[in-house]
Amino acid sequence: MLKLTKVSKVYEGKVAYRALTDIDLEVEKGEFVAIMGPSGSGKTTLLNIISTNDQPTTGNVEMEGKNPLNLKKNALAKFRRNQLGFIFQDFNLLHTLTVEENIVLPLTLDGTSVREMKNRADQIAESLGISSIMNKRTTEISGGQMQRAAIARAMIHEPKLLLADEPTGNLDSKSSQDVMNMLVSINQKEQTSLLMVTHDAQAASYSDRVIFIQDGKLHSEIHRGESRQAFFHKIIDMLSLMGGNGNDFSSVRP
Amino acid sequence: MTFRQFALNNVLRNKRLYIAYFLSSMFTVMVFFTFAIFAFHPAFSEASFNQNALFGMAVAGGIIYVFSFFFVLYSMSSFLQSRKKEFGLLMMLGATNKQIRLMVFLENIIIGFIATVGGILIGLVFAKAILLIAENILIISESLNFYFPTLAIIVTFVSFIFLFFCISLFVSFILRTNKLTDLIKGDKQTKGEPKASIFLSIIAAILLIAGYATAIIVKGAAVIYAMIPVILVVTLGTYLLFTQLSVFIIRRLKSNKSIFWRKTNMLLFSDLSFRMKDNARTFFMVAIISTVAFSAIGALYGFQSYLTKGGKDMNLYTFTYLPWLDDSEEVIERDIRKINTVLQEENIDAQMGKMELNYFETSEKNNSVLIVRASDYNYFASLIKEKELDPEPNKAIVVEQSDAMLTQETKASEGLMESSIVLEDGETLQPSHVVSTPVLSESAAYYVINDKAYEKLETPVRTDWSVVWKAKEGQTDQVLEAGRKLNEQLQYKAYSVDYTLYEIEKAYGPILFIGLFIGIVFFVSAGSFLYFRLFTDLDEEKRKFLSIAKIGLTQLELKKVVNREIAILFFSPIVVALVHGAVALTALSHLFDYNLTVESTLVLGSFAVIQILYFIIVRYFYVKQVKRLVFR
Ligand SMILES: Nc1ncnc2c1ncn2[C@@H]1O[C@H](COP(=O)(O)OP(=O)(O)O)[C@@H](O)[C@H]1O
Ligand SMILES: [Mg+2]
Repeated sequence: MLKLTKVSKVYEGKVAYRALTDIDLEVEKGEFVAIMGPSGSGKTTLLNIISTNDQPTTGNVEMEGKNPLNLKKNALAKFRRNQLGFIFQDFNLLHTLTVEENIVLPLTLDGTSVREMKNRADQIAESLGISSIMNKRTTEISGGQMQRAAIARAMIHEPKLLLADEPTGNLDSKSSQDVMNMLVSINQKEQTSLLMVTHDAQAASYSDRVIFIQDGKLHSEIHRGESRQAFFHKIIDMLSLMGGNGNDFSSVRP
Repeated sequence: MTFRQFALNNVLRNKRLYIAYFLSSMFTVMVFFTFAIFAFHPAFSEASFNQNALFGMAVAGGIIYVFSFFFVLYSMSSFLQSRKKEFGLLMMLGATNKQIRLMVFLENIIIGFIATVGGILIGLVFAKAILLIAENILIISESLNFYFPTLAIIVTFVSFIFLFFCISLFVSFILRTNKLTDLIKGDKQTKGEPKASIFLSIIAAILLIAGYATAIIVKGAAVIYAMIPVILVVTLGTYLLFTQLSVFIIRRLKSNKSIFWRKTNMLLFSDLSFRMKDNARTFFMVAIISTVAFSAIGALYGFQSYLTKGGKDMNLYTFTYLPWLDDSEEVIERDIRKINTVLQEENIDAQMGKMELNYFETSEKNNSVLIVRASDYNYFASLIKEKELDPEPNKAIVVEQSDAMLTQETKASEGLMESSIVLEDGETLQPSHVVSTPVLSESAAYYVINDKAYEKLETPVRTDWSVVWKAKEGQTDQVLEAGRKLNEQLQYKAYSVDYTLYEIEKAYGPILFIGLFIGIVFFVSAGSFLYFRLFTDLDEEKRKFLSIAKIGLTQLELKKVVNREIAILFFSPIVVALVHGAVALTALSHLFDYNLTVESTLVLGSFAVIQILYFIIVRYFYVKQVKRLVFR
């Protein structure tokens, strides 16, 4: 459903900087792919290009056979809002709104009826276990709850592709596990494709496939196969094989 | 690099951050300097110049200076507010409190110095223009030539260096840098949802309604007694309006899902209640300052129109001569000759009208009533192109003054309509109808009757004279000169409207000019306050829109939200001020019993238009800034 061919990105500036080189990547419907790599390797850049928030310098992005970047600016914004779901490291919630309001925000922009919004929000809150905090402001809840609220917002319009940039980056390990379990269950139940950038080998081990990039180039990829535990160790091995400095990867937990 | 160099570089490298603060400081200096150029003009230092006007100018200068002080203080503190994070970071890196204070002090001195010099330079560029404007509004015999304003430069420079020094010292002294964590976090995050009390919101509405109602209902001299209480009540009401009622209304809107959850409304209102509450004091101040500006300018303008239009309406003749009651016919004849000589000297082409005003007993006992021969009346009427009257032989026409100012006198015509005129032969003339004309400046009403009937009147109880001249159009200068001469030779008896109005305008000009000047200063600085508030929140706004844009927000939606938000923030204090101003001017018109609708509409309308232009400009830059970040 998502296909990248020879995507490169050069940041222009006083000194042009090549952040991505010839990235080829394909994600099937319902697949859960994790992207790992050291800091500065171009993960966020890649995700921004997929999310149409940024444009590749060369190469092609196709979603369900069409290139969203051919769309006009306004249509592009609507495309993002309707086809994609976003989860960010810093949650990206508006702190002037309540949890419920944050969740329905994308729908309000599209002029959905209040009843429908209310129904969907209640349903999704139920499944994510945040019904009790719906009327709280985002400043009054914990990081784990904020990320769940952000997931609810990303899921409320049933997107085809969910993009997550370090969703567990700001969470403790217990909350990280909760959030990952939630993403996996969404991925399995709704058949939503999931593309997640992460530093965290633990989080990556929930995926079907991990892609490693280094210096803006594809380095390697490993598939899950057996148990999550074994997958986790394979990921750790790959990371140390990629050499560099183990410290680049913040949380190496069993 | 010494710390001093660091402070200097900090200013020079962060130009964009400092520019708004710098510009408004410079603007203040420029305003003061322009005023000084005008006030220290050599034409005024001559002894002949009106001492009261000089005093007025000194007071005005003082007001502008004090106002500048608060304006700069306010600009500076809101500027520092927007840099809290920077200070927090510096402190985290180990800068001491003292160093930060020194930095703030040095920065402000640098900015203040450049602003002073810049303001003076720009002021010099506009010097000629301001003198030209002053020359036209003020009626000064000699023209205000351009001169090199050494004294104005010195006074401005010294005053403002002193001002900036004091404020820099003051601000750096009170700078609160103690709570590091607060500084770094920024202020918004921890604040709870702004609350508004229903009780106080209702009080706000009641105070405003009561204040307005009183101001509009009260008539005549009572306006003066009502003024202070009404001002207090409305001021308090305005304060509560911004701090309570507005927040309350937005909260009500927010709690209604079918409104709040519609399209971009959520984005619009989510921040609005916060920004309303945060900006309540600023809005209050802006509303009050603008109200003062609107009312002052409206009042001055209205007053001028009252003086001049009133005079013009009552005296349509170029010159009028009214003898004293006991003047003999010889004196009158001599005076008239004198006037005609003066008119000849000045080469004025004028038609004279002379009428014996005879007062008779009528069936209305107490008062003698003026009765005018139709042909006399018609001659006077023809001079000022009024309609002539043709009373039937056995009828009388009642004429009353057509002047709006003399509302009490209208009763007089009713009295005359009910009585009648008895002729020598016993025949009676019944009044037929009432007309209003300005032909005779008789304050009571009078009869106009047929010439034949006039012959049959009994002997008058009292006789008076009215002599008028109507000059052809376009002899303004000669008329003024003649008016001046007549005023010298026949004071209180001969009267020239144009000359009197000229005198009034001459005396009134400086007041009007200074009033306008101060009013505009207030208005522009009120606008700057708003501008500052808006741009203090800009970073927060950018962050908000950036996070939504990532999820998907069209440019159109962004523009819509930003437009509405700025419009609400920008216009709410001004609209309040416009309504306040309109009510104040209505009260003023009741005090003088003079219709100020045209003047008020003109003044308030111009301010509204200026504000709209200002809004369009500010919005352009604001939207551009937000867009630049959000849609790269
Ligand atoms: N807007 C930008 N302009 C210039 N260079 C950028 C920009 N964004 C990122 N980069 C550079 O591109 C490289 C990749 O950045 P990023 O994709 O954020 O890395 P990651 O998310 O893997 O840590 C980094 O070296 C970064 O400095
Ligand atoms: Mg990143």
